[in-house]
Amino acid sequence: PLTPMTPMTPVTPASESSGIVPQLQNIVSTVNLACKLDLKNIALHARNAEYNPKRFAAVIMRIREPRTTALIFSSGKMVCTGAKSEEQSRLAARKYARVVQKLGFPAKFLDFKIQNMVGSCDVRFPIRLEGLVLTHQHYEPELFPGLIYRMVKPRIVLLIFVSGKVVLTGAKERSEIYEAFENIYPILKGFKKAS
Amino acid sequence: MAARGSCPGCGSAALVEDAHYAQQQLVCAACGCVLAEGLLTTTYTEEEHLREVAYSQSTGQKEQLSRCLQRGIRRVQDLCKVLQLPMVFEETAVSYFQRALQHPCFHLVSLEKKELLGGCCVFVTCRQHNWPLTMGTICSLLYAKQELFASVYLSLQKELGLSVPALSLGDLVKTHLNSFRLFQHTADVPATFVEDKEKMVARTMQIVELASETWLVTGRHPVPIVTAAAFLSWQSLQPAARLTCTFARFCKLAGVDLPPPAHLRLKELLEILLRMASQLAWLRVFNMDKKTVVKHIGDLLQHRIFLLKNAFCLEDGEEQRATAPGEGSASSPPAAGGAAQEEGCPSEGKRQREDGRRPLLPPCLINPRKRLRTAALSASDSAITGDEPISDSEIEQYLRGPEEIRAFRKAKAWS
Repeated sequence: PLTPMTPMTPVTPASESSGIVPQLQNIVSTVNLACKLDLKNIALHARNAEYNPKRFAAVIMRIREPRTTALIFSSGKMVCTGAKSEEQSRLAARKYARVVQKLGFPAKFLDFKIQNMVGSCDVRFPIRLEGLVLTHQHYEPELFPGLIYRMVKPRIVLLIFVSGKVVLTGAKERSEIYEAFENIYPILKGFKKAS
Repeated sequence: MAARGSCPGCGSAALVEDAHYAQQQLVCAACGCVLAEGLLTTTYTEEEHLREVAYSQSTGQKEQLSRCLQRGIRRVQDLCKVLQLPMVFEETAVSYFQRALQHPCFHLVSLEKKELLGGCCVFVTCRQHNWPLTMGTICSLLYAKQELFASVYLSLQKELGLSVPALSLGDLVKTHLNSFRLFQHTADVPATFVEDKEKMVARTMQIVELASETWLVTGRHPVPIVTAAAFLSWQSLQPAARLTCTFARFCKLAGVDLPPPAHLRLKELLEILLRMASQLAWLRVFNMDKKTVVKHIGDLLQHRIFLLKNAFCLEDGEEQRATAPGEGSASSPPAAGGAAQEEGCPSEGKRQREDGRRPLLPPCLINPRKRLRTAALSASDSAITGDEPISDSEIEQYLRGPEEIRAFRKAKAWS
């Protein structure tokens, strides 16, 4: 049974909101092909596969459309990365499953699940990170140039940079990314006015 | 416990071993005659076997500290002594260490990590008391890789729920300059290079504050900025004698490392100073360059608030214009430029205005690196539902044909 997909267009922002919509940059999903796979065989018969068992115990396969990468394990589990939307990720995962089927394995398509979504956007003004004071934040310029803020609701990690660019990650649904950004934007805007 | 033999006093065979005040004695049960006594002094092995009163019970300590914990605590104490930290810091660091080691995620890690954990506890304690200790210093003391130290530090912060305040740049300046060997005349340091510590600290602080106001500090490693500021302040205090000295030579004489980003920080600082100099009336006649501006750093720092306002257009100008378009002739000169950069100030950063002012922005926005901008989701992409049919031909393009496989096999010599 198909799970209902979230709508393609983002939720219409409220009138006081930022007017900025974070763009999704990467979706990581997993699926179970439910059959044991011979990775050496796959690497031999597929053009788009690489397999170095000494380095990593999975076949790395790539397709052009949607432009994604998959890690295929001998247990039949697969990870699909690089898609820009949930639907693209699902389509790509199905294509990989089809490749594996054509190679002679009885691959199924079970338990497809989005594991992580990454989005980014630009608030268009510089931010004095050393002045921002939030709980659950971490700013160590010796370690990393950005401020790492672990928002509790929704449970999203935000990387905030001096240039005003913000990266949001850890979401299972795109609404979490939009909500997290709408939560942080007034704080950043207010901080800019105050400083 | 019955023992063999007979009592010399009464001839009874009922001999027992008894402990009289923890001293073993062989006593006759019938007449009470003492046949033999234990030695008052026992050997180590005898004492171990006796175990009459355990150490932990006699001194009232119920828990025994494990050897690993003892060693770790000693290490933390040694670190505090090397860094010459107050006693209070040592106690705090040791308590953090003990708390941390009880956590499962630190209990079973490698010895290397446990050692780093001690260093992290000292580091956190220092930061909480605003003692300017950098990660670089601790890592070099522990001979640790910074990535490993960073990961232990982050997990420590998370597990114990510690809040660590940001590094105070002002304190860092004082501490870092303490390690400079330029305050006394020695064989390698010529007399003209020796400088008064107070003057140098004061001027370096001012330059670092200037850097902080002009976006050179946020998101960057603090130590290279302090090193570059120290060099400029040292040069500017006696420019005649010191202008010919290079940054690398300065660091060598001072006995400090020259971190690679420091050259870039120096360049950025000089650019800011040159812009400020262009606003100072009596300097406009001179053709200032990177060398000559150093001579006037004293003046520039003295009037820095005024010069910064005039040399750079602050975003406030744009903001005012955006919110109150009808307003003020007072704000119109900066606003005129603000209008030009209203929407895309970051991207328009390079554009010079008529009076040569550039916006006060972080360097990453002034000189954005050319990045391949991934296009936003196009209309056709947006229409994907994920359930489209997949054509066989599309999949077959990814499969090798039989001749290809044969050739590949031959090339790879696979079975």
